[in-house]
Amino acid sequence: METILNLNNIHKSFGEKRIHQGVNFELHKGESLGLLGGSGTGKSVLLRSIIGLEKIDSGKILFHDKEVQGFTDELNLSKLRLKISYSFQSGALFDSLNVFDNIAYPLFEHTKLSYVEIQVKVAQVLKLIDLEGIENLMPSDLSGGMQKRVGMARAMILDPEIILYDEPTAGLDPANIENVVSLMLKLKERGQSSILVTHDIPAAIRFCDRILILIDRKIYFNGTVEEFTESDDPNILKFAQGQAKEAHHAS
Amino acid sequence: MSQPGTNEIELPEAKALIDRFYDVGMMVYFFATIIKCTFSRPFYFMRLVDQIRALGLGSISITIVIGLTMGLVMTLNFGYGLAKFGGVLYVPAVVSLSLAREMAPIFTSLLVAGRIGSGMAAEIGSMNVTQQVDAIRALGTNPVRVLVVPRFWSAVISLPLLTSLSCFLGILGGMVVCQNEFGMPPGFYINKVLDTVKIHDFLSGMVKSGIFGAIIAIVGCWRGLATVGGTRGVGESTTWVVVTSSIAILITDFFISKIFLLIWGH
Repeated sequence: METILNLNNIHKSFGEKRIHQGVNFELHKGESLGLLGGSGTGKSVLLRSIIGLEKIDSGKILFHDKEVQGFTDELNLSKLRLKISYSFQSGALFDSLNVFDNIAYPLFEHTKLSYVEIQVKVAQVLKLIDLEGIENLMPSDLSGGMQKRVGMARAMILDPEIILYDEPTAGLDPANIENVVSLMLKLKERGQSSILVTHDIPAAIRFCDRILILIDRKIYFNGTVEEFTESDDPNILKFAQGQAKEAHHAS
Repeated sequence: MSQPGTNEIELPEAKALIDRFYDVGMMVYFFATIIKCTFSRPFYFMRLVDQIRALGLGSISITIVIGLTMGLVMTLNFGYGLAKFGGVLYVPAVVSLSLAREMAPIFTSLLVAGRIGSGMAAEIGSMNVTQQVDAIRALGTNPVRVLVVPRFWSAVISLPLLTSLSCFLGILGGMVVCQNEFGMPPGFYINKVLDTVKIHDFLSGMVKSGIFGAIIAIVGCWRGLATVGGTRGVGESTTWVVVTSSIAILITDFFISKIFLLIWGH
């Protein structure tokens, strides 16, 4: 299997607080990775580091064998971010733009498509996320789940090689969780590689090919979904119980 | 706390001082980034037009009020003050010169700093705390190009135009007061103004207000992009921007005035 992303011995601190101490993993083409871990273990920081929104202290992040932290100039960072897109936890929609302009933003910025072609493409993506006809609504008119799906539509519209999902099911009701997971599965069927950061273990089991667990600033577990569900490692069992409790409290 | 009579530095104060120098250094670097982004692709011309509409046209009403009020109040005070010494005839010269050189640029800029400086900090700060600025980066674009450059140039373009309007209305207000309070014919007033205010007086006001516009935009946008801490952080940023840009405008005004006096004489 072709490795497209490789994180090698990543170290990251915020002041005195150490977040990562030697994190290693690989993402293969077409693979979906689930990155699990307790709150504050630096899962989102790891995602942000992959697209250069955070600087790591040491180690290497290689995208197609090219070091991401070497993408320091604007042009190269821009090229990287067209190939690896980020779906934010809150959706992070531009609240001054309507749904059409939000989804079309990357197309206006990075393609030479005509306005009509962009309209067609946005309509296709809205159909894929089951939200047809909402082009003229503002983000404030949408529910939390709809905002996340529109954010995901914006992240995927340029057909990136990798999508990084930052807690896409957090704070959603079961119906919206189902919508979001179904959408991720649709994209996975199209051969999309992805990394999913989540506390939602059932969603991770449904969506991911491989599970990584961050414990004590390192990747403690790296295995298939079957290995994860059948594991009798006390730390993993404790982690899974803790996540279930956290989910229960959150609900 | 240091003991009286010792040379020990008060650490919190020293840190605050270092923080101020750090802020100034970062804003100078930020200004250099804005200039670099201005002269390299991609350009966002329509965003600039939108910002001029929002910042410039949106500030016209406040400019009309401040311009007319300045002219009316200054003329009343100078008129009755100079009347004691038989100097009413000098009122048009005094009012128009002070309006063109100092009062119109300063007062317009301070009011606009309150309006658009805080607006920039609030808007960009809110975008920052809701990850919209990160989204701009993650979508392969540069927030300085998308958000800051249009706001910077709209402030630099709009403020001299607003200052011109404020100056014109101030002189007009002065003419109304001179006619009604001191019986001075409008023709005489206008001639006196035209004899007194030279083109370089007017230009110095315009250049000053352009520089003040740049200061407002740099302070507002920089602080907006540095905002953290949710809605409370946004509130703190807007207050900080109004205070800092007002102080920066007043201090800069002294140095620019000094430079213009050296160039064009008194």
